Amino acid sequence: MLRMRSFLPPLLFTIAYAALSLGVTNSYYQLILTLVPVWAVFGLSWNLLSGYTGLISFGHAAFFGIGAYATALGQIYFDISPWLLIPIAAVLGGIAGLLIGFPTFRLQGHYFALAMLAYPLAILYVFEWLGFQEVTLPIKRDAPIAYMQFADPRIYTLLGLAIMLATIVLTQFIERSRFGMALLAIKQNEAAAEAAGINTLAWKLRAITLSGAIAAAIGGFYAQVLLVVTPQSVFGMLVSAQALTVAMFGGVGTVWGPVIGSVILIPLAEILHAEAGARFPGIQGVIFGFAIVCVILLAPEGLFWKLRDLLRKRIAPKAPASDLPETSAANVTTLKPAPRQRAATGEVMLEVRNLSRSFGGLKAVQDVSFKLHQNEILGIIGPNGAGKTTLFNLLNGFLKPSEGEVLIDGRNMSGQRPHVICEAGIGRTFQVMRPFLRMSILDNVVVGAYVRARSDDEARKLAADAVARVGLSAVADRVAGELSTKELRLMELARAIAGQPRILLLDETLAGLGHGEADEVVAVIQQLARDGMTIAIIEHTMQAMVRLVDRFVVLDHGAVITEGLPEVVTRDNRVIEAYLGKKWVGHAAN
Amino acid sequence: MRTTSKIRITRRTLLAGASGTLIASRAWAQQPSEVKVGLLVPISGIYARPGTVMRQGAEMAVEHINAQGGVKALGGAKLKLVVLDSGDTTEKAKNAAQRMVAQESDLVAASGAYLSSFTLAVTEVTERANLPVLTLSYSDLITDRGFKYVFQTSATAASQARQALPQIIKLAETASGKRPKTVAILTDNTAASIASAKSMREGLLAENQLQLIVDETFTPPLADATSLVQKIRSAKPDLLFFLPTVISDAKLLLEKMNEFGLGQGKVPTISFGIAIAEPDMLQTVSPELLQGVLTCVASWGAKGHEALIAELKTRYKEPWMTQNAISTYGDMWVIKDALEKAGKADRVAVGEALRTMDAGPSKYYPLGEIKFDQKGRRVGAGMTIVQWQSGVPVTVFPPELALAKPFWPKS
Repeated sequence: MLRMRSFLPPLLFTIAYAALSLGVTNSYYQLILTLVPVWAVFGLSWNLLSGYTGLISFGHAAFFGIGAYATALGQIYFDISPWLLIPIAAVLGGIAGLLIGFPTFRLQGHYFALAMLAYPLAILYVFEWLGFQEVTLPIKRDAPIAYMQFADPRIYTLLGLAIMLATIVLTQFIERSRFGMALLAIKQNEAAAEAAGINTLAWKLRAITLSGAIAAAIGGFYAQVLLVVTPQSVFGMLVSAQALTVAMFGGVGTVWGPVIGSVILIPLAEILHAEAGARFPGIQGVIFGFAIVCVILLAPEGLFWKLRDLLRKRIAPKAPASDLPETSAANVTTLKPAPRQRAATGEVMLEVRNLSRSFGGLKAVQDVSFKLHQNEILGIIGPNGAGKTTLFNLLNGFLKPSEGEVLIDGRNMSGQRPHVICEAGIGRTFQVMRPFLRMSILDNVVVGAYVRARSDDEARKLAADAVARVGLSAVADRVAGELSTKELRLMELARAIAGQPRILLLDETLAGLGHGEADEVVAVIQQLARDGMTIAIIEHTMQAMVRLVDRFVVLDHGAVITEGLPEVVTRDNRVIEAYLGKKWVGHAAN
Repeated sequence: MRTTSKIRITRRTLLAGASGTLIASRAWAQQPSEVKVGLLVPISGIYARPGTVMRQGAEMAVEHINAQGGVKALGGAKLKLVVLDSGDTTEKAKNAAQRMVAQESDLVAASGAYLSSFTLAVTEVTERANLPVLTLSYSDLITDRGFKYVFQTSATAASQARQALPQIIKLAETASGKRPKTVAILTDNTAASIASAKSMREGLLAENQLQLIVDETFTPPLADATSLVQKIRSAKPDLLFFLPTVISDAKLLLEKMNEFGLGQGKVPTISFGIAIAEPDMLQTVSPELLQGVLTCVASWGAKGHEALIAELKTRYKEPWMTQNAISTYGDMWVIKDALEKAGKADRVAVGEALRTMDAGPSKYYPLGEIKFDQKGRRVGAGMTIVQWQSGVPVTVFPPELALAKPFWPKS
């Protein structure tokens, strides 16, 4: 149902475009109509990697050029038909993606972008050195159709459209699947994605492979349309820039962005070139550049998102009236604070033995040992800088311990990658919230569900279930950008429990909440514990914790200073000293 | 004749945009006394300068033809130049070509498109539209594809190298009294340079008993020429073939040669192509450094073109007439001759006329005839050797076209 509905707009768009192009008889307009889907597909391939993962590639021309040259050289030297060569080009592009991605994904941010820039430039010189400065596709007068050489240029447009439709549908499918969710999660916060059980490197490699394959395929088709291949025309900087331009103009991270960008920019550039350029040579570049600058200033995320935001604002005024009452009602009904039996004596779920981690000379965590029992709520407290978050990072694999072990169900898991530890049943939330602002609550939570779910449907079910458990069902369809801090905290909690962990690590979940709000969140956590969850929670505010936890571990300067029941720990002199300083110890005793 | 001067530039004309040009071009087409000829060259982007010079040559030719009574076989019909911008990429060149054949359907022939990669892409389009195209591009590939509507007026790259070497050797022998034996090649890796260097390496040098002792290929732009020049200095070749495309590379190398005491003819330097003889060279390199540098080009302002050279100077402030101007000037005359022969303003007929024409010795291209072989290459196409003398590159070879005597740098 959802799939069908999303499949309809691209299909209608393609049919309308095809109808338009069939009605055009001027061969120049036909060529422009062919180039629009070509650059749209190239933009989509870039979007698949860079739009969804946020890792900007300045070097997509590498794949495009490999496809173009494979298609051209295959015809010249092996007399293979482009019908076969374009799929071959896609395979080569995919392999290139894998080979390029594997070393380059070690880099992040700007470093990744700059490293990607190098590949097409390097390959460009290789092709020049090989003597392929100018390659022309041979004319096949006897079997034109077998060699994709049509007398009627409209057929090229239709072929280009077919590739575009296939790419759109593929992108939409990916967008909605575990694949797309993983990529979006990587874009928002790669660390959080790893913690949610996503093997980020594997997904990124899949994305660049697929992206490279699509770019190479459309590069091959482009060679077929242009009939002449030169290193500059397929590996050049302008080619890589073309992908960025159409995607960023239209909107990054959406299937429609590159399509919108291409539909507007490619004909615009040509019209300017043909009309303004004939009178003032060079003016076309100035106007084109100015138009792009304006769009980037007015709609930094691209036209698509700008229009969508405007549209949402139009519709928005009606929505809250119907939504709000339900929300509060839902919160009240589901969250009934109830007493709970303290269970601190069950089976040991997680054991930490002599864990240490130093950063240079600073010993952030020293020789920490404790046990987490089944169905227990363990509070890890300590003043700022005590090493609480570092401890969590050691537990879930962000950091490798310098010494010591982390045993989960008796198995030593220290030094494992975060997504592996997540699969072993440990979920976590973050002190600094990292919601996916443009996605709905439910979609945010689905990301966390994939670690357990085998299918997309199962993931949705698990996510809906998790959303219900934190009491956000009524607002599940709202985008995260509209939520309050409390709702975001609950949503993060839902994302962590959607993966059905047995142990939940909560990092300052109560931070930044008002008094009443904190109580609501506490109630949710208590309910989770009643349902059998084992929880470790970090806080530096003691007040809410005393009512919530079964047992405390107190850290100061990276070491455990004491552990025990809340009533005992709060009266411990060492704890008071750590929190308040020596002179308060005497006061506290009174 | 320029399109820019036809239309007064106001905000309204800018806004009128597309429709204006379309309507205007239809209106002209209806006048039976005009025949439209296309010129598809880069007039924007990094190749705008040579493209503009080509346009100047074409404009001058069209004016001269019309002043002398137009196409007589068509009742004195005037030629009308339609200029299209090929831009600075292969894709833009192809788009412009498609626009040319789609929207200027009454063109009878065209000239273009400067870079051989542009010409290759453009002729893929014009061939399918049966539009004859004359080109000054050298690449052998252009006329190796079995096309019927492309005519190469320059000697191809391979043929140029073949022609040039014996002449250079003869020049050296007569001037210095001894035959050169060793050569060095310094070339950038652009298509035209590679083609020239390749044919020299693969046989031509050996045929002329020359030994290749330094062979270096670089990627423009050069950051530093020191290592290249050091190799030249230690090898001491009798001749240096230097094939740059980018002016800054030429400047860098010539300056470095001078710095190392190899400049101003100590090692005779011979280039291929127009880059080293462009007027822009003088803006960055001093005439003393250039003195004596030779270059082999497909065509150049030469003996018999004095009036044209003078007109180009006064009209467009161009210091001398490069290949781009004179070749494109000649293209218009060849198209005019073909129109006379065809007797009708029809592209297929003009194409047929070009294939079968035999208009005698060439006046504007060096040597040979106005006649094309089966591939579309001009029969007997010669070339010119140009030498920098007192700040001007002048034609010194072949003798029948030379405007000055060559001098061989004294070592």
